[in-house]
Amino acid sequence: MKDVEIRIPDVGTTVDEIEVVRWLVEVGQHVELGQPLLEVETDKAMMELESIAAGTVKQLIAQPGQEVATGDIIAIVESNEDGAAVSVSSVVKTSESTETPSAPVFASGNQFIQPQSIAESSEIEVNIDSYDQGFLLSLYERMALIRTFEERVKLLFLEGSMPGTIHQCQGQEACAVGVCSALREDDYITSTFRGHGHALAKGVTVDSLLFELYGATTGCCRGKGGSMHVGDMSKGMVPGIAIVGGGVPLAAGMALAFKMQKSPQVVACFFGDGAVAEGAFHEGINLAAIWDLPVIYVCENNHYGASTRVDKVMKNDRISDRAAAYGLRGQTVDGNDVLAVYEITRQAVNLCRNGEGPMLLELVTYRRTGHSRRDACHYQPKEEREYWMNRDPIHLLGQRLVGQRGVAEEELEKIQAQVNQQFDDAMAAVPDQPMPTVDELTTDIFA
Amino acid sequence: MRHLSIAESLREAIVEEMQRDNRVFCIGEDIGIPGGWGGAFTVTLGLEEKFPDRMLNTPIAELGFFGAAIGAAMMGMRPIADVQYSDFLFLAMDQIVNNAAKMRYMAGGTISVPLVMRAPVGATGRGAQHAQNMERYFTGVPGIKVVAVSNAYDAKGILKAAVRDENPVLIFEHKLLYGSKGARAESGTVDGSSEVPDEDFVLPLDRAVVRREGDKVTILGWLLMAHLAEQAADQLAEQGIDAEVIDVRSLNPIDYDTLGESIGKTGRVVIVEEGAKTGGVSAEIAAGIHERFSDVLAAPVARLASADSPVPFSPILENAYRPDVKRIVATAQQLVAGDVVAS
Repeated sequence: MKDVEIRIPDVGTTVDEIEVVRWLVEVGQHVELGQPLLEVETDKAMMELESIAAGTVKQLIAQPGQEVATGDIIAIVESNEDGAAVSVSSVVKTSESTETPSAPVFASGNQFIQPQSIAESSEIEVNIDSYDQGFLLSLYERMALIRTFEERVKLLFLEGSMPGTIHQCQGQEACAVGVCSALREDDYITSTFRGHGHALAKGVTVDSLLFELYGATTGCCRGKGGSMHVGDMSKGMVPGIAIVGGGVPLAAGMALAFKMQKSPQVVACFFGDGAVAEGAFHEGINLAAIWDLPVIYVCENNHYGASTRVDKVMKNDRISDRAAAYGLRGQTVDGNDVLAVYEITRQAVNLCRNGEGPMLLELVTYRRTGHSRRDACHYQPKEEREYWMNRDPIHLLGQRLVGQRGVAEEELEKIQAQVNQQFDDAMAAVPDQPMPTVDELTTDIFA
Repeated sequence: MRHLSIAESLREAIVEEMQRDNRVFCIGEDIGIPGGWGGAFTVTLGLEEKFPDRMLNTPIAELGFFGAAIGAAMMGMRPIADVQYSDFLFLAMDQIVNNAAKMRYMAGGTISVPLVMRAPVGATGRGAQHAQNMERYFTGVPGIKVVAVSNAYDAKGILKAAVRDENPVLIFEHKLLYGSKGARAESGTVDGSSEVPDEDFVLPLDRAVVRREGDKVTILGWLLMAHLAEQAADQLAEQGIDAEVIDVRSLNPIDYDTLGESIGKTGRVVIVEEGAKTGGVSAEIAAGIHERFSDVLAAPVARLASADSPVPFSPILENAYRPDVKRIVATAQQLVAGDVVAS
């Protein structure tokens, strides 16, 4: 038990005045990590500030109507956990029930197709017994690593110790891990501004990723890229393309090079549901189709382009239906079933290596966290959020490992502890990392 | 030595580079269609027979195929991507400016983008959307080298150098200088042909060239305007004004060494640009000259450029729109006479 000071974080460098509007919790109330504690108003926006500790609210210091500044202590929470480590219990909840929650209904009245029925109708055969135990545990470990990394980084960012911005992927771990597990080291991926999970899944180290977020020269982009451009060519990841859809033509070109070089390499191009509206998507995927390029277009349909729901930006029920418009194969799969994602990617990779590419994969998933920064996701209907919270991809795999492969829960907890330690070690090394000097401002522009 | 047109010398450069290095390929619209034109200005005429696998004809999708060219360059190929009219570069802006120019930097120096881009500029009676001078939109983008070739010798040496460079290079050519023959010949063509060596040669991408020596006034121009400046210099010579004409050739970076040597002699500068006056490349050059050479300038730098209007169609208007020899002569005379040149 220890008292944790809750401070006003950096809410933006151009903001002068921050006013406390109202408290959302009371003294004595139990709060979770990341739970909204209060509303503040700046000259830019109203926003909720979240707790950086789980525990009991001990003291509310700032009063409604009070003006505060970055760094001011506004409350005390008596924490009941050591540090900010993410525990297994917050990630894997043992569930008694095996029933699937019923499908949510969009406000527009369109009934969303349940992922389970999508997986069934898409003929993805997944037999969990056909996999090596070590492989399955590696999938679990990698997803847990991504979740832990993102949750810890979120808190560091909210505390104000990490510069820049973040776009996170909690809830979408199975997409990154399922796809990248089916790729070889010398295959490439392109990514987006939401690339932390892709990076860890493709083999970028926790250290180089974390150091990049702090702007150090030991970061994967030497501090010159930042969160939206993480990547590592030595691991087969192009720095993230932060312009929505911008990676689609690029990936076609990379695949073109592989084809012209007669190389067996393939490229997987990640993008979201928002990207399919961009002209670059249309032009790039068409080129891949007419030239039979070895590229796998992976659409992570998390239902939202920023705050706009996918059914508002297209008439198609499925993004994979659009493949037919270009004369190429398309498939929709449950993006929270890491084995289904792995299987379909494996099939796509084989087709590509045999010269029968490209392919458009739609992975149906959900973003548990905000679009960026301090987004509290008020545009996501409550029932929809709850439905997807109960389909946590890490939990789903964990359940199957315990229930069908005889893995002990302690083993999963051990993996979680190792992953926590990995992050702790990286975090401990951050203060020792070299920062760029000003004369590096204009280096690395030209070769 | 042979006397070649720009279209012929560009074609030779492409052939020789593709023979020398099989990573080099061309990508663009209508560039290698059997029985076709070899692109809108005949530059790639017949190359699909020599290189059937390396002349990639694309759909009408500039954003797509420029992006693809960038991706291919990142994976070790050496593409030459072209637009039929430089106006179409607007469609590819995101890929060029946000990807090609920035990829190396964002990756902390671990990626190269050895991409060549080619684009024809200039007003030629086709109307406002097929007539723009697009240099200005790229000269201010860190990460792209921008050059403009005004004769066959330069065209060949620059294109070869660009192919061998490890960075994105954007080469501007002029529709009226190609010297294309037959059905694709341009009316109003100005002779850009020159003697071209038989042996392999490259030219530096970052140097200007003195076309005519003189000591009374420096006239800077590029592409068509470089030729008109030389014609103007002939007329000025008859009036006893000895003009030094410099083909700027490298638009990013600007070769201030060569410019400075000239300005040290003359103290007076006219910059002639085809393209609207406001926000042009001449504005950047003028500022750069003042910052570096104000102690030897006898007068502020004068700019002569096109009108601040879209390019008109009617020939009377198009001719009024664009600087001509008469106006270059008049501006140089004003400058030498000590009159303030009207803006």
